Amino acid sequence: MLDQFLEGFAMAMRVDTFVLMGAGLFGGMLVGALPGFTTLMAMAILLPISFFLDPIVGIPFLLGVYKGGIFGGSIPAILVSMPGTGAAVATSRDGYALTKQGKSRKALDMALFSSVFGDTASDIFTIFMIFPIAFLVMQFGPPELFAVLLLSLVIIAATSGSSTVKSLIMMAVGLWLSFIGTDPLGGVERFTFGLFDLKSGIPLLPMLIGVFAIPEIAGVVIRNEKVKQLASLMGERLTFREFRGTLKTICRSTVIGTGIGIIPGLGQVVAAMMGYAAAKNASDHPETFGQGDLEGVAAAEAANNAVNGPTMVPLLTLGIPGDNVTAILLGAFVAQGLRPGPQLFEEQGATVFAILIAMVFANLMFLVIGYLSIPFFSRLVRIKTSVLIPVVIMFAFAGAYVFRSDTFDLLMLVGFGIFGLIAKAGKFDVMPMVMGFILGPPMEYAFGQTIAMGNGSTLAFLFDERIAALMILVATPMIGLLLWRRMKTVPSD
Amino acid sequence: MLKSTIKRVAATAVAAGFAVTASLGAAQAEYPEKPITMVIPLGAGGSHDLNARVITSIIPTYLNQAMIVRLTPGSGGQKGTQEVANSAADGYTLLFTHNYIDMLQQHVENLPYDPMEDFIPIARVNYAPAGIVVRADSPYQTFDDLVAAAQANPDSIRMSHSGNWGAFFVPAAQIMKARDFSLNLVPYKGGGPALQALLAGDSDVTMGFPSTLGSLLDAGTIRVLATAGSERMFDDVPTLAEVGVEGDIGFMHRVVLAPKGTPDDVVATLTDAFGKLVEDKTFTRMMGRLNETIDLLDGAEYQAMRQEQDAAYADLVKVLTSQ
Repeated sequence: MLDQFLEGFAMAMRVDTFVLMGAGLFGGMLVGALPGFTTLMAMAILLPISFFLDPIVGIPFLLGVYKGGIFGGSIPAILVSMPGTGAAVATSRDGYALTKQGKSRKALDMALFSSVFGDTASDIFTIFMIFPIAFLVMQFGPPELFAVLLLSLVIIAATSGSSTVKSLIMMAVGLWLSFIGTDPLGGVERFTFGLFDLKSGIPLLPMLIGVFAIPEIAGVVIRNEKVKQLASLMGERLTFREFRGTLKTICRSTVIGTGIGIIPGLGQVVAAMMGYAAAKNASDHPETFGQGDLEGVAAAEAANNAVNGPTMVPLLTLGIPGDNVTAILLGAFVAQGLRPGPQLFEEQGATVFAILIAMVFANLMFLVIGYLSIPFFSRLVRIKTSVLIPVVIMFAFAGAYVFRSDTFDLLMLVGFGIFGLIAKAGKFDVMPMVMGFILGPPMEYAFGQTIAMGNGSTLAFLFDERIAALMILVATPMIGLLLWRRMKTVPSD
Repeated sequence: MLKSTIKRVAATAVAAGFAVTASLGAAQAEYPEKPITMVIPLGAGGSHDLNARVITSIIPTYLNQAMIVRLTPGSGGQKGTQEVANSAADGYTLLFTHNYIDMLQQHVENLPYDPMEDFIPIARVNYAPAGIVVRADSPYQTFDDLVAAAQANPDSIRMSHSGNWGAFFVPAAQIMKARDFSLNLVPYKGGGPALQALLAGDSDVTMGFPSTLGSLLDAGTIRVLATAGSERMFDDVPTLAEVGVEGDIGFMHRVVLAPKGTPDDVVATLTDAFGKLVEDKTFTRMMGRLNETIDLLDGAEYQAMRQEQDAAYADLVKVLTSQ
């Protein structure tokens, strides 16, 4: 094992690996920063190129695109409150508040450092613990997934900005919105009123841009809110003291993110929200969360990037891709003659270690690439408001449209924009709604699977085969209740 | 090494960008005079997406035009399909789909289009045959063991599959109908999670395409009980036909369709291009690397299969929904 590791280390030290990985990181960051373009699309388009490269060049190249893209998604979330994916929602909260205070550069720096830290730590953990993780992954089936998702929703409702009652109302709205369309298990249409456009459900991206970006744009236009120009032209960089102050939060989020990455089917959205909630809960100044707290950015970014390491485990040890990103990576592996699975480490151990080590180096390299490009991005918001606002509006509409090339999505964007304005006026936090909407479908699916597994006698199934799941199912609402009561004593904004 | 790598990357970039140059080149009066859009009614990263990336990076050589992939997922494939059904029948919008979206869904739901009336097949690029899989420590040594156990205790054996009315659900239903037994079908989001459920012990049996099973088979983690088709894929594993399940069952055909009314000369140009595509060495090598087969059928040949599928699926859905 050790000599394979060392051999892999030597194999990874190649100039072309680093050159292409850097290209992938930079390209991925640009694509990820454009709302509507997903990292996944970029990876699918670039996959054929990797066929012609050496495995130790081609796969790190794709990994670079992936990692760059995740960070790229945080850029519009921080600068213009336009999260392009669910994973960037938690980041946009404090990130955009910092931008409004003229601290966009600090926020981007914080996002970069915490992303890189979370990712690197989880990658290293994965390299050393790959087989224990592979064992753990197998312990989570649909009943357990359902329980964890339910707990996540409770925590999100209890820790969001507005009062818990308002949060629960918004979450119920979000869950209901997620029911619209074709039911994921039985294929029955729900709440579509026979409209074909609604059959595939409400699209996520127009909702995200609508409820997060439109009210902010409107705020600038209607109330003439100024994005403060207190700091020097480029904004100040993050200081070492500020970074050190958030180190505890970053470590906590990294652990949470890595743990969530192990559970198949949860992913970055849950990780970011849980990291954020935990940081707010542990903080002695929870009232500053949401008002532009660097810790909020750090908590969300470290957690959602820490998911990356463990999600590679089922792919490498079983040859089973858990999501579309790992499915593309599987394509790249197979095309290179590497067959992920139980024998991969025996047959190609050194190559696999080389790829994993390259992954760690990709993070470090990204630290440099990101650090050098942040000034250019943060300069964006310094453009005159009369120019910036039309451009942002254009990106909002273009982003909502390109994802599915459907004009219906533009209507959705406007509708959710109006909804977001009303919610803001009524001091309702839209975050629980969005989270209910994103996490509702997987939770419903897991619930349906659990019922199907029980085949008509769900409780008997849980008692006979899933004692652990039953305990989680009982404990989840209780933990939730405790948390809720505790949250009520914490002053919220 | 670095130099040769750069060379190869450059070559690919040139291949991918060929279309652009071609479209700027000599103006041709005949089809195709502008890039062709290939709509995939499925999401990014799936097997259709990957197949399409390979097709569209090579086929411009034979069409002298770019072919652009557009992913339009939604409603189990209906969204993208409707989009192509509504587009002009001029050969500039094609659909890359599979037989279950194409022929099965019309019997399950009311669709805003009629697949037989609105589409003609251009080419079947390849097909993937499914295998029935159990864990290596499973008590079911043969397909007949499984059937016998399921008949003794109906619905007690769990089968994980890739989603209702999907590529494993439908053959499972067809096989259960043919051999008269019933399994408890539990849906997962895709073939990967379904296979993982098998390995984790959450399900007792599942299906998979050989391209995704290879490594687990070699490691002795799983056992294949039967494979689709009439020819054996593994020497010691019977085919479905041998265990009493006849017909076009367990195949996912990847097909290119065009709106009905597409002019004959356009169809001929496309047919010709696909014919040359499957002979292309780079194409066969890339598909081989993805573990995909190439088995081209032209439009007329596949139309006959579509009609058979139509009738078979109509029967199947009637039986399943009347229960």
